[in-house]
Amino acid sequence: MTDDGEGASGGRIDVERIGGLAGFGGPGARIRSRGTLPLSALSRADRATLDRLLGQAGPAPPMPDEFLYRITRQVGARVLSVEVAESEVPAVLRACVRDELL
Amino acid sequence: MCGHCFIVPRDVLERLSRNDSLSATVRKGMARTAKLDIELRRLRAQNHRLTRLGMRLAPVPAPAAAPPVPQVLVADCQHGTTLPGVPVPAPGKSSDATARTVFDETTALARFYAKAFGRNSIDGAGMTLASSIHYGVDYNNAFWNGVQMTYGDGDGRIFLDFSRGNDVIGHEITHGVTQHTIQLGYTNEAGGLNESLSDVFGSMFRQWQAGQDVTGADWLIGKDIMGPEATARGFTCLRDMADPAAGHCLAPQITHISQFKKGMDPHHSSGVPNLAFTTAAKALGGKSWERLGQVWYRAMTGYRPSPNMKMAAFAERTRKAGATLYPGDAAVAGALDQGWRKVGL
Repeated sequence: MTDDGEGASGGRIDVERIGGLAGFGGPGARIRSRGTLPLSALSRADRATLDRLLGQAGPAPPMPDEFLYRITRQVGARVLSVEVAESEVPAVLRACVRDELL
Repeated sequence: MCGHCFIVPRDVLERLSRNDSLSATVRKGMARTAKLDIELRRLRAQNHRLTRLGMRLAPVPAPAAAPPVPQVLVADCQHGTTLPGVPVPAPGKSSDATARTVFDETTALARFYAKAFGRNSIDGAGMTLASSIHYGVDYNNAFWNGVQMTYGDGDGRIFLDFSRGNDVIGHEITHGVTQHTIQLGYTNEAGGLNESLSDVFGSMFRQWQAGQDVTGADWLIGKDIMGPEATARGFTCLRDMADPAAGHCLAPQITHISQFKKGMDPHHSSGVPNLAFTTAAKALGGKSWERLGQVWYRAMTGYRPSPNMKMAAFAERTRKAGATLYPGDAAVAGALDQGWRKVGL
């Protein structure tokens, strides 16, 4: 990542894992799971998946206790965000988050 | 069943299916695979619709006085994320402690539902109870995916193996019971009710196994899966049904319907019905599953499916169920009233 937090291709992806049995990232929750990746860390295929996810109109709600991922792609001033069920998220994005206590 | 079991994304498959440099056979195969991907993603939603339709066309017959315990299967994901994983032979005698625990506790939960509520498994008709263990790496979650339960091992620091909590196992299996009965959705107030039913029956199962009455119960959810870092910080549970906003909860919840906001995570809004149940249970005394549990079970299973039910309607349904099951019993009616009033319903 470059100093401004953006990858070589000028983009960054912020990922937050929310929900699950433990209620990660909820209001007042003392546990959260977040991570960041430069856009350049994604393979072509994963970028294509990300494009598709960010373009989804209304993603299906998760199954009970399934994690949701809030994915935000920032390229310059352009920010796009979406929440999707874990089963839709590319492995590289699922793997970039770290669980922590607040 | 999992949505990420395709290595090549759908749009890449679709693009390849239109690539003239590839043979017609290959292009056809790509198109077929892309189509399959779409259908698999739809499968989960279809499963819900199928459950509802099946119940409408062929209602589950009334169970026998003592339903048999259903078959219990355990599969090992071996730290991958493909479900269901490799079957564990004779899981009750496995050298894998997690397999044994999941088999034993799932079997015990089936007995609890049979003995306390006369229910034969998740669907009321003896459905096989399938669970997958060792899902993912350091995976801090357990979930119900519409057809089976799945348990992660935890990361060993914030969480331990999720199958260590008998309330966790009860929670996940109850999501299946909800799917086959009241069919609550998983958003807004219905989502909060859905989560709460899982906490309520998970906690009752824990109390039933320990032979506890309402005063001996700790009403904590997830106490046995808290890892060393969490306990060192003073977190004793995921949720406290008796004190949902408490500081010792990893995920404190709302305690009054006035605090509910549309779009709220179901694990946050379930504090309202959780507190109503616990307050009513304490007011009534005795063992939670003996009377109040019967009322909650009737409210969950004794009426038409209500996917978008609001909390006020569920409260009213429990009052109605209480009057039906215990006519003229002022203690039951009073306890229900006390419970729901506490949360503004």
